[in-house]
Amino acid sequence: MAAISVRAVSHSFGLPGKQNRIAALKNVSFDVAPGEFVTILGPSGCGKSTLLNMVGGLLSPSEGAVQVDGTPVLQPLPERIAYVFQESTLFPWYTVEENFAILLRCRDVPRSEWRTRTLAALTSVGMQDFAGHYPKQLSVGMRQRINLARGIASDTDILLMDEPFAALDEQSRMVLGEDLSALLGRTGKTILFVTHSLAEAVFLSDRILVLSARPGRVKATVAVNEPHPRPPDFMLTSDFSELRNQCYALLRDEIRLAMAEAVA
Amino acid sequence: MTETSRLWPCAIQGLIAAGGLLLWFVVTQSGEVSPLFLPAPDAVVNAWVALVRSDEFWPAVGVTLTTIAAAYILAAVAGLLTGWLITRSPLLTRAFEPLVSGIFAIPITLFFPLFILLFGIGQESKLAYGAVYGFFPVALNTIAGFAHVDRRLVDAARCMGLSRFGLFRHVLLPAASPVIFTGLRVGFFICFASVLGGEAIASAAGIGHNIALSAELFEPARMYAWIVCVVAAALVLTALVSTIERRFRDS
Amino acid sequence: MSGPAAGTIAELAPARRRVAAGWLHGSAALRWGTLITIAVLWEVAARWSGNNGLVAPPTAILRALVTQILPDGQIRAALIVAVVEITAAYAIAVAGGFLIGVAVGWTRLGRNSLFPIVLFFYAIPQVAFLPLFVLGFGIGPAAKIAFGCSHGIFPVIVNTIAGMRNINPQYVSAARCMGISRAGIVRHVIFPHITGSFFAGLRLSMTMTMLGVILAELYVSTAGIGYFTRQFADTFDPAPLFALISVLTAIAIAMNAMVRLAERHWLRWKG
Ligand SMILES: Nc1ncnc2c1ncn2[C@@H]1O[C@H](COP(=O)(O)OP(=O)(O)OP(=O)(O)O)[C@@H](O)[C@H]1O
Ligand SMILES: [Mg+2]
Repeated sequence: MAAISVRAVSHSFGLPGKQNRIAALKNVSFDVAPGEFVTILGPSGCGKSTLLNMVGGLLSPSEGAVQVDGTPVLQPLPERIAYVFQESTLFPWYTVEENFAILLRCRDVPRSEWRTRTLAALTSVGMQDFAGHYPKQLSVGMRQRINLARGIASDTDILLMDEPFAALDEQSRMVLGEDLSALLGRTGKTILFVTHSLAEAVFLSDRILVLSARPGRVKATVAVNEPHPRPPDFMLTSDFSELRNQCYALLRDEIRLAMAEAVA
Repeated sequence: MTETSRLWPCAIQGLIAAGGLLLWFVVTQSGEVSPLFLPAPDAVVNAWVALVRSDEFWPAVGVTLTTIAAAYILAAVAGLLTGWLITRSPLLTRAFEPLVSGIFAIPITLFFPLFILLFGIGQESKLAYGAVYGFFPVALNTIAGFAHVDRRLVDAARCMGLSRFGLFRHVLLPAASPVIFTGLRVGFFICFASVLGGEAIASAAGIGHNIALSAELFEPARMYAWIVCVVAAALVLTALVSTIERRFRDS
Repeated sequence: MSGPAAGTIAELAPARRRVAAGWLHGSAALRWGTLITIAVLWEVAARWSGNNGLVAPPTAILRALVTQILPDGQIRAALIVAVVEITAAYAIAVAGGFLIGVAVGWTRLGRNSLFPIVLFFYAIPQVAFLPLFVLGFGIGPAAKIAFGCSHGIFPVIVNTIAGMRNINPQYVSAARCMGISRAGIVRHVIFPHITGSFFAGLRLSMTMTMLGVILAELYVSTAGIGYFTRQFADTFDPAPLFALISVLTAIAIAMNAMVRLAERHWLRWKG
């Protein structure tokens, strides 16, 4: 059975018949198998976050249905799905450690393990020295790393990640990408990932869904047949550049289309 | 900030305060201003000492402070509850937020005669009037605080599986509390001023009544002595409230 | 949210959205519906209790309005005087507050030394000084204008200074270098910057001005509106009292609306 199954999903924002009604997604269908890493690529504003919100149970699609492990998603499923948002959603009134504490309490982790689990998660993104800081005292990239660590610390089978590396420098992206690939090889999590970086998509994914300009449709699917964990050298192979160029070719027209629409 | 740039404002403030006092002296000595309107500073000081020693001082202060406290507790509890309940639904928020803010934009003093009509000349009418006036800023800010919590943080909390209470305790309350505190502070000072004002307009007891009475009996020094008490109380309360607020914000 | 069986989701989700869409339109209807329901319940309760309570029912208020309040020349005159007082106090508060605000907020030293003094006076409950205004200005309109003004001026000063505080000093320097006069700097640099904060101050100032004028009107019970409210209250005659207060409320709402209209007009002209 598919871990995530998206069936003929369409979504529009705004009231029907109103001028500000926006069709964000149109008839999107795909499955994600257990342990698979699927990336969604698409021009800005094509409905990627909207799609993730539906899988996360935060939004009901106008049409179609989303299922996780065969049951329809009607509300967030904290035991099954962890969601790393596009922007940091650390609670600004709590320190980093307190932010983790809230999550671990929800996960029914015994209090005695909180500190070690928090430090382990922070260490994995190189932020172990900032447990006592408030989010405001950190840079945007640091916050995003912690946000990512918090998502992984949820320890759910399914991870939704909306541009988790967007605010990071290229080197950190690559290092964290490698770590994520290693994690995947170790734990076999199911990940639905959104990014604007072609290299990141090819390096991490088993499958890439390229969406069209708004309203988003699945324009093409690109498979990457390379087992996890992937070594950094994978980026130097001709397969890699070929896949990357393939994705770029698919995206370029859509981006031009999206921009032309914005001008018109 | 450098030392001098902090020194100058203090010096100027001191000069203005000293100049004001000096002006007060000179003007009252010169006899240009009727002592009925502005008595000499020493007369006010003497009247103040006599007032604080008199038997009627503490009862009057007690009456006013009790009324303010009761009015404020009513206003705060009702305002918080109403704000919380209204924001449980976006529909209710959209329906009643404009109503609450619209009423608060009207000077509620207009309705004071109704309070006298309904509750009589005693302290009950001042209590009810202060409570109603103080209710609005508390309710308004509670609505604003809870209605504008960052949607993404609520979503994130739901995705983590926070319970309803956990959502309130860890997300809604911390997000809304700065705005709510402002409402509670404004509500307090509105209660304070309303009770005093109500006492001045129509009352048989309390500080406001005594100020109005001294004016009616042409005892300006005594009136100023009471005004000094009010000003001092306002300053002490302002300092107290900001300390409490800071304490809360730090914890 | 409960979890219905698989397969129903496609029908369920859009249905919930449609309800939500209807709700948003219904907020004004709900607001007015609630107000009308309260009025009807009020009427019913007052009739039930035999019309002898202290709370006059809406119909009795309307009747008193038409037969007692509006035809009474003295009350009409008192209402007109109150409107004139509010207008005059507001005009003085806005002009004076703006000038004081600009003067205090002009330099950093002014802001640091004089603004705390302004806030000090703002924090004092001015109603304590109400008898003093009547002693000084008499029981006529002058005292009420002065007292209304003393309430209304502070929001204007505070918001003008708050608006000026956020001005980028480079704009002022640039304007100075271009040789623009001081008046020109106020008009073209400072004023556009502070309009948002300033208009928030204007709105609050209108409420406060009305508060001050009404307080003084009620305090002086030998003339003006305070005389009539005292009369109706002393004779336990609720209907005309409610009616008079309704007229004053309508005036207050109209004055607030005018400030808003002026704000909208001004911002459109600017924009
Ligand atoms: N709450 C909302 N109300 C109305 N329209 C919305 C809302 N959220 C998103 N949209 C619209 O839906 C479209 C898709 O938004 P979405 O956030 O899913 O884009 P995205 O693909 O994630 O873009 P990006 O790559 O920039 O993050 C956008 O055009 C946006 O205008
Ligand atoms: Mg997005």
